[in-house]
Amino acid sequence: MLEIKNLNKVYPNGYHALNNINFSVPQGEFLVVIGLSGSGKSTMLRCVNRLHDTSSGEILLNGVDTTKLKGSALRKMRADVGMVFQHFNLIPRRSVMANVLSGNLSRTGILKSILGIYSSEEKALAMKYIDIVGLRGKEKNRADNLSGGQQQRVAIARALMQNPKVLLADEPVASLDPATSHSVMQYLKKVNEELGVTVICNLHFLSLVRQYAHRVVALKGGKLIYDGKPLEINEEWFKTIYGEDAVEVTIN
Amino acid sequence: MQKIVKKKANKTIQTIKAFIFDVLAWAYIALVSYKIIYDKIILDTRYPEFVWKQPIYSLYFGLAVTILFFFTNFSLGKGLMGLIKISDEESATAKPFAYIGYLLIVLTFLTGFYVSQVSVKEFFSANGLEGAKRIFTALLHPNWGIFEQGLFAAIETIYMAFIATAIAIPIAFILGFIAARNLMSGNPITFFCYSALRAFLNISRSIEPLVWAIIFSVWVGIGPFSGMLALCLHSIASLTKQYSEQIESIDDGPIEAITATGAHPIQVIWFGVVPQIVLPYLSYTIYRWDINVRMATVIGLVGGGGIGNLLMQYQGQARWSEVGLLVILIAAIVWTMDWASSVIREALK
Repeated sequence: MLEIKNLNKVYPNGYHALNNINFSVPQGEFLVVIGLSGSGKSTMLRCVNRLHDTSSGEILLNGVDTTKLKGSALRKMRADVGMVFQHFNLIPRRSVMANVLSGNLSRTGILKSILGIYSSEEKALAMKYIDIVGLRGKEKNRADNLSGGQQQRVAIARALMQNPKVLLADEPVASLDPATSHSVMQYLKKVNEELGVTVICNLHFLSLVRQYAHRVVALKGGKLIYDGKPLEINEEWFKTIYGEDAVEVTIN
Repeated sequence: MQKIVKKKANKTIQTIKAFIFDVLAWAYIALVSYKIIYDKIILDTRYPEFVWKQPIYSLYFGLAVTILFFFTNFSLGKGLMGLIKISDEESATAKPFAYIGYLLIVLTFLTGFYVSQVSVKEFFSANGLEGAKRIFTALLHPNWGIFEQGLFAAIETIYMAFIATAIAIPIAFILGFIAARNLMSGNPITFFCYSALRAFLNISRSIEPLVWAIIFSVWVGIGPFSGMLALCLHSIASLTKQYSEQIESIDDGPIEAITATGAHPIQVIWFGVVPQIVLPYLSYTIYRWDINVRMATVIGLVGGGGIGNLLMQYQGQARWSEVGLLVILIAAIVWTMDWASSVIREALK
């Protein structure tokens, strides 16, 4: 359903962040992207929903090239792609409910959304997703008063509110403690398995990769150097991806 | 290789800067010595004649002295640019070039005293002290008979400041987004709007509200309306700047997240930007009202209405007891506003 062809990204300062990337993601897969910081993982995810513009190449989402989209077509495409971030990026000082409802902005009229008028169906849908991420009873709490793991679950519910075909997760557990990391990964797995949403997730910990990924691609210096099963990443591949001096850290 | 060339070019530029600095410094020393030390102190002329020949000759003099001293340790420019080597044991303040600097400072002080006509004699003259005593006695015996009149004028001032602030808020709110670099630097058209607005704001802010009040008092006539317009214009410029700086310092994360949901740019601003800026905005706005009340009393002096206007009238008639009462009223307003605004802003944090 997602196909990336000869993708290149050169930043205005001349930095070549992505170098001729090719891979495709079938419907319903849980794909994990690994690689060192600065290897281009975040840039690649942001190219998919066009938070960053691409330099050349194609990104086909259900057969539509997203790299040329503009205006309302671009917003419509973005609505089909959910995203969660390392730092959650929730709206500060707003309730959990308001944050989850903000996932539906592309379908709410501008004036209606500014005045805060939401239909009862929208509210019921938001409640359903709040329930799915296990935050029932917290919907009236201020989102920025929740713990890190809970905030990330609000972010997942917000992304689900978009009814996405793909969910992009940019290091969703990098600022969480190990126990919470697993809980958030479990919810992503649940979204993937029960709702059938394709997930593309950037991760640092190989132990999490082995546990959750269906398939792994690895980036190094903007190039795709590995594409295969998580369990096939042996010592040798590990050294290639992370460098000679790297030592694997596990998280249980 | 490239680095060395660059370093060399850099050093050349520094040397040129140092040379120009030296010429100007010596010319200043020459001019000031001539005009103040010679003309005023030695000859004691009251209004020394000014001819353009003088600064031009001092520039020549500066150039000549610079050529003489530039390659010695007496070059202040080279010293300031760090082109004179100073070993670890020595202190830069004891180097020859530092003495040139001290000379500059002393001369500037002397000039300052003469230009502002500082006179101990006049400060303590019997006649002057008598006048001061008269004013202070009157001020300390305020005429409570005009309390009502003063109070109404004071209320006028407060409302005038309030309306000036209130009208400025929505305008500054919208302009604040246009004046925020991070929102507008995306494409050339918006960036042009940003630059043009910034230039306009800087110009209107650099003209004091007092001057605007004079302009408007001619335009719409003397009274609170002209003062209100002056304050309003100044508030728009200042609030826009503060608002836009607040927008520039927000976290990009929520903006990114709302954009990623496929929201319209207006929704991105409403949900990604506004929640982050509401509290600082309120705080700035209340502080602006506080400043406006204080400014409004001064603006009244030039015909902007309110208590300042009244103060001007009584001062013109030398009715110091009435002035005394008005001063008390103004102090009370300023204190109250100051206290109230700090309490509210503290509560908002």
